[in-house]
Amino acid sequence: MPPSFRQINYSLRPAKAIERRMLSEMFRRLHPFQRIETYRYVGFGSIYFSDFMIFHRDLGIENMLSLERDTNAKMCFEFNKPYAAIKLQFGESEILLPTLDWTPRSIVWLDYDRKLTTSVLGDIGTFCNQASSGSALVVSVNAQAEPEPNDEAKKSFEQSTGKAFDSSQYRLSKLEEFIPDRVPMGTDGRSLRKNGVAEVFYKVIISKIETVLSGRNTLAKPGDKMRWGQFAHFRYCDGALMLSVGIVLYSDADADTYQMCAFDKLTFSRNGAKSYEIKVPALTSREISHLNSQLPQIATGETLKCDGVSDGDIQIYSEIYRYFPNYREVLWT
Amino acid sequence: MAQTPVQIDPNRINAAPSKDFFIYMLTRDVLLTRSIIDLLDNSVDGAKRLRAKKRFDGLWVRIELSPERFRITDNCGGISVKVAREYAFCFGRPKDAEETENSLGLFGVGMKRTFFKLGNKFEVKSTCATEQFVVDVDVREWVKEGDADPTDWHFKFSELKQDIERGDAAVDLGTEITVTELHPQIASEFQLDTVINKLATEISEAHILSIQNGLGITVNGIPVQLLQSNLFVSDSLQPAVKHIDIPRLLIDREEGDGVRVILLAGLAKREYQEGGWYVFCNGRLILRADKTDTSVWGPKHSVPQYHPDFAYFRGYAFLDSAHSALLPWTTTKTGVDTDSAVYKVVQKDMIELTKSIVGFLRKIAKDQNEGQLEEGALDTELDKATATRTETLSIPSAFRATLKTTPVTGPRIGRIQYSRPLDEINLAKKLMSVSTYKEVGETSFEYYLEYEGGK
Repeated sequence: MPPSFRQINYSLRPAKAIERRMLSEMFRRLHPFQRIETYRYVGFGSIYFSDFMIFHRDLGIENMLSLERDTNAKMCFEFNKPYAAIKLQFGESEILLPTLDWTPRSIVWLDYDRKLTTSVLGDIGTFCNQASSGSALVVSVNAQAEPEPNDEAKKSFEQSTGKAFDSSQYRLSKLEEFIPDRVPMGTDGRSLRKNGVAEVFYKVIISKIETVLSGRNTLAKPGDKMRWGQFAHFRYCDGALMLSVGIVLYSDADADTYQMCAFDKLTFSRNGAKSYEIKVPALTSREISHLNSQLPQIATGETLKCDGVSDGDIQIYSEIYRYFPNYREVLWT
Repeated sequence: MAQTPVQIDPNRINAAPSKDFFIYMLTRDVLLTRSIIDLLDNSVDGAKRLRAKKRFDGLWVRIELSPERFRITDNCGGISVKVAREYAFCFGRPKDAEETENSLGLFGVGMKRTFFKLGNKFEVKSTCATEQFVVDVDVREWVKEGDADPTDWHFKFSELKQDIERGDAAVDLGTEITVTELHPQIASEFQLDTVINKLATEISEAHILSIQNGLGITVNGIPVQLLQSNLFVSDSLQPAVKHIDIPRLLIDREEGDGVRVILLAGLAKREYQEGGWYVFCNGRLILRADKTDTSVWGPKHSVPQYHPDFAYFRGYAFLDSAHSALLPWTTTKTGVDTDSAVYKVVQKDMIELTKSIVGFLRKIAKDQNEGQLEEGALDTELDKATATRTETLSIPSAFRATLKTTPVTGPRIGRIQYSRPLDEINLAKKLMSVSTYKEVGETSFEYYLEYEGGK
């Protein structure tokens, strides 16, 4: 356990900020398909529009659409829109996504704060059914394991099942509530702790992508058959454990173009079940400056040093320093 | 007489079919009313041959059922001698059989299966422009004929006239099929009004498009009513319309017309039983108000299970092909072949169209439960919309619905729901002198607040 002063301020969500920057660098790699600034970005901007700001600034994307489920505060969202180019549509994503015109190549980030559910899988299905070759999807969901239930919850579980409380069965039943009929066969409730839920969610997401594409490819013309490649598999924890999976759809005809994207050149890209864990060492501005002065290591060839910071934290920082957010308190006068 | 020695191939295994199999086994696979609709399909195919892609005005099919006799008569062109001789009476469709474009007959089992299912004697009379024939069969005799040579399967024309010159004489060109000596079970079923009504309803559903197109169908003299399939359209409500063309080359690697599909999905009058997906193949309804994962519902398709909140939902899939074999129907035409590649392609889009509409209906239900929306707000909106017949909707569009709502004024309202044993509820009803569950809930809540909440 790190000392308390080495624990981060969760309200700042630094891991999320790092993920955003890493994704931006990943999306930039889609340029062999078309100029990245001409892609369409679809996301859940909320009132902060953090993703919209970074993708507009970094990638120059102008065709941007934010889906907002809270239909009661339209004025508030319109007011907080940072750029005129952002279009807003109000309603649940499951209602809006199937009605979009999917002809334009799109980057879609479905950044849910909730767990994987049937309707989230439905949104993934909509993208996989309809998006054009060269489009990218990132899905982020809460994958936090169920906490140990209190006595009341245990009693209610016993009443509904007619059996003595069993933690493993309890966890499995909770998972079944989120993704009915989708829990992979052989899932052991005992494994649904720590990263166990994230592992199951990952499998279910991949299975959904494969199933939908198999249907889409039935009777597709040669060359039009749609393949998928995974470029991102993140886990991070700014509070609850989050899981993000990123894929690109590409047609057989675009297979070479997809290879040219070379996502594997990015050290944090993952193309399989093994995830990249975004860890955030808690460092002061002075420590960050000191470490930055020694980076990138390849330029100096020397071992990084910073008094009072553990070797582990230094190593982590050296991997993510280009994406590391810098928080400062600003006093408005 | 000396017998010719038969050369027996030791590797040969007998797999010849038996007449009994067709008479007693195959007939079990189809329901009575459905087997009659199989005969009607032949009449509709005749109408299609006569009036390729035009209206059927003036054409009719009359069905008569009684404990003594079943009869179906039409003026839809009749069966030619060539077709009767070479194809119509074959068990299974011969490969070189001529194809009627967009036909319903496909498997070559329907007509014979129906004869066997209904009774022991059947007669088929056909009157074409220059020829006519009668085939009269006693099924028991026909089975006995097989005793001598089990491989000899044939029927005989009992009357055959060709090269007839009719002059100006007005003759209905068509087919008359009569089945007599009905099986006892069938005879007793044909006495029941319920069976006759069920048949009329199923015909009106299965052949809704042919009836819309002008074909007159009667059952025991009573015209079969046209069932309307409507979707609501207004300034704020637009059903989803999508066209899909699947080239034949991708289906079976043959040249020619493939499958044309029109999907329509939107809102109609709230009716739990009627909600769901309707699938038509060449105008014949094969899946009705489906609420299962055969169409789109349930976690398998990432769509919620069908639910009373979705009783406004209607989806229509019209699949048409000049080559009926490309369409995803089962031999009884009472369901879709979910393994069919064509159906999988269509189903993918049915799912996408459903999601937006179901999402909209869930939101309405949620807002009403949370007191954000007045009860009946959607019905009020639908009252202002026009119920539009599905065949007039063809311009592709996405589903759109904007509900002009006035948020409920006054305090925000929540809804409480819970279950208790019936005995306890009935006791509470008695104690409170009320008659409904709702009143039990409200009275007990008010009672508690009055004594515990200081109200």
